[in-house]
Amino acid sequence: MIGITGHAVYLPRHRIGREKIAAAHGGKPVLEGERTAIGFDEDALTLALEAVQGLGLSACGGIYFASTTAPYLERMNAALLAAACDLPEEIAVADFAHSLRAGTVALMAALDRVAVGEQELIVVVSADTREASPESPEEQWFGDGAAALAVGREHVVAEAKARASVSDDFLDFVRRDKDERVTSFASRFTMEGYCRIVRRAIARVLEESGLQPSEVTRVILPPMDPRLTVRAAAELGFRAEQVQETFLERVGMIGCATPLFLLSAALERAQPGDRILLVGYGNGADAVLFEVTPLIEDYVVRDPIAEQLRRGLRFPSYERFRKAREYFRHHDEGPVLSNVFYEKEEVRAIRLRGTECGECGLRQFPPTRICQRCQSKTSLREVSLGRRGEVFTYTVDWLTPSPMPPTVLAVVDVEGGGRLYLQMTDVEPSEVRIGMRVRLTLRRLGAGGGLYHYYWKCRPEGRSDGGEPQG
Amino acid sequence: MAESLKDKVAIIGIGCTKFGELHDKSLSELMAEAAFAAYEDAGIEPERVEAAWLGTFSPGFGGGKASVTLADALRLYGKPITRVENYCATGTDAFRNACLAVAAGVYEVVLVVGAEKLRDRPVRGLQREGTHPYLEAGATPPGLFALAANRYFHRFGGDRRTLAKVAVKNHHNGALNPKAHFRMEVSEEQVLAAPLVAYPFGLYDCCPTTDGAAAVVICRADRARQFREDPIYVKGIGLAVETGWPFFDPTFEYIGFPATVAAAAEAYRMAGIRNPVREISVAEVHDCFTWTEISNYEDLGFCKKGEGRYFIEEGRSALAGDLPVNPSGGLKSFGHPIGASGVRMLTEIVLQLRGQAGARQVKNAELGLVHNLGGPGSVACVVVLGR
Repeated sequence: MIGITGHAVYLPRHRIGREKIAAAHGGKPVLEGERTAIGFDEDALTLALEAVQGLGLSACGGIYFASTTAPYLERMNAALLAAACDLPEEIAVADFAHSLRAGTVALMAALDRVAVGEQELIVVVSADTREASPESPEEQWFGDGAAALAVGREHVVAEAKARASVSDDFLDFVRRDKDERVTSFASRFTMEGYCRIVRRAIARVLEESGLQPSEVTRVILPPMDPRLTVRAAAELGFRAEQVQETFLERVGMIGCATPLFLLSAALERAQPGDRILLVGYGNGADAVLFEVTPLIEDYVVRDPIAEQLRRGLRFPSYERFRKAREYFRHHDEGPVLSNVFYEKEEVRAIRLRGTECGECGLRQFPPTRICQRCQSKTSLREVSLGRRGEVFTYTVDWLTPSPMPPTVLAVVDVEGGGRLYLQMTDVEPSEVRIGMRVRLTLRRLGAGGGLYHYYWKCRPEGRSDGGEPQG
Repeated sequence: MAESLKDKVAIIGIGCTKFGELHDKSLSELMAEAAFAAYEDAGIEPERVEAAWLGTFSPGFGGGKASVTLADALRLYGKPITRVENYCATGTDAFRNACLAVAAGVYEVVLVVGAEKLRDRPVRGLQREGTHPYLEAGATPPGLFALAANRYFHRFGGDRRTLAKVAVKNHHNGALNPKAHFRMEVSEEQVLAAPLVAYPFGLYDCCPTTDGAAAVVICRADRARQFREDPIYVKGIGLAVETGWPFFDPTFEYIGFPATVAAAAEAYRMAGIRNPVREISVAEVHDCFTWTEISNYEDLGFCKKGEGRYFIEEGRSALAGDLPVNPSGGLKSFGHPIGASGVRMLTEIVLQLRGQAGARQVKNAELGLVHNLGGPGSVACVVVLGR
């Protein structure tokens, strides 16, 4: 049996109310509610890593990363993700891009790879932080987010029963190599194209599995235009109650992460025997029919969507929302590092390795040749440090240069031993306490010399995130 | 047992510029002003100096990090000059190295200059150099000490009101000192109402960024009376270096600084001090932030760990207290040009021991202490001086 063995989503903690965006342009919201939004230190890669960590896996055979907004256009983003997960070299990595269908394309590729027996377990992660023109409806429709799936043969919670793809060079959203922002062709004609293309993919899957639309428990239709989603479902032959909720009023359209995000949402509520029809759309369509297995009842979602939605931090203004998105477009004055330095640094700063002393047991960061406590030189071994911890002490620093002061800095004792000095992000300074539980999160620290400088920060651990209730 | 420096070296001349925002002065002008004041005080001509030590954290443009900075400022050529940099303990460590050379009998008369021109630098606060691009990103001096202050409060109690008392005392002392950067009293309410810099430190909990220079002339103790009637003798010196990254040390308690404890132990051993709070008459300690002074009381053995807040609250460190601390106004009020500070603190203790400290004179000053603390509590130097 091949299928989904795990699923997780990550929504950035920041939100902005659509009325704030609309008001900044002197208009009315085009949609109710709010959208998710990255902080200044986040991008598609950092969101993706959070989603991967949400799977709670200790090992995997590969990482497939799908995004239309990956931070590196030349450098394998998935390889950086694999390093941040401290995975060994002998794994499969690949980036998928250039289409809103990239998420499901990556999923298809992972199903293939597992099917031929090359790997036992592939992580597919999709994330997007798309940019729309200020004042466009898309600026309000879009959101930021990530979703990850584990694809394998063991402990399958949703078996992939049938799948189909169609290709169609249809114009709906495009972005050229020189564009920072999406050009939208959203209109009633676009929705007609969506229905036509999606219908072909769905028809092939239903035909292959001998099912009628009415026999599908849940259909996941990634929204293209919030105004027309329900109508599209009806045109495709589905009743409203079959259609997966789209979270447009709380999240927005999160690019190529949308299909996997909505699949994770569907799996959070799925029962054994449910048939879930996943559609990915973009210059064609993918359709995958899943059948939920009894194992779904034992599957624990570490940080459910409802909990993540509850934890939002609201940007106080439209200007803050835009500053967060644009900060690193205008700031590239960070340190210029050599690749000679980086090669050594990645082991500690990205893989987050420390040293454990075989004599006295002390775990130390960064890796050391001589034990800080017992001075042993002979029994030290490199270890991967824990990614959760507790604040030993902290400060809220207004002097630290930051696009959004103040900066919370914390000394964190991590699970399993070792102490780190980290900036805390996604936090109201008044929330911070000695003893509070945090999770490590890779973020952009700076940019310069052709690189984004990623390093770990910490963030408050949510209630369902494995920690205590926050504030 | 290691040998002691006690009574082997004497300070025979001191010089100190006005401290403050000296926008119209250059680093070399400040060094020359301090050095020539020290020559005059010692009653010597510049040629009498056989060697010099320069303490600067950041010499600025021209000369790089080499000792030519001092040679060119003083036109002191053809002699051994060494530049020392050891975080905020730079000044006292320059002095310590000079003392070792004199005690070894290599030189008779040596000049020590500490100088810094922080206001020429382009950023707010103290710009840290050579820091790691990732591992300590975001660290600022107040932020690094605030980590300790918050843990200390968590462990022993106390709050911003406790800290404010240190600022009020040191501003009071600074107001009495003509060379201090700030010559103004502040009230506890003013301190508490100031903008936050790094919680729990507000603006008045932080020393300023200051320009200034100070110099001392030292000589072999057995020749000191050839120069003046009232030389001040070095009784003991200790320097200790701990980790520069305490925030990565899982065993670090963050309630004080072992570097100070170790440096004080060494200085007290040399000086034969067993009960510092009773034997020391006056102290200049490193109050880069108000909490640091409270921790220093404890780490220097003036009181037990956790009881520093009572030392300030009960007025024991006030000018009229039983161990006046920072009669000069301290770094808080006199100002903190990094490399200059340690040497400047030595000049204050010399004035106190000579009885020349004017309105801020401490009564019956017999034995004085100078303490520098550098980095995130990483480097400490303690000097004990006596008549």
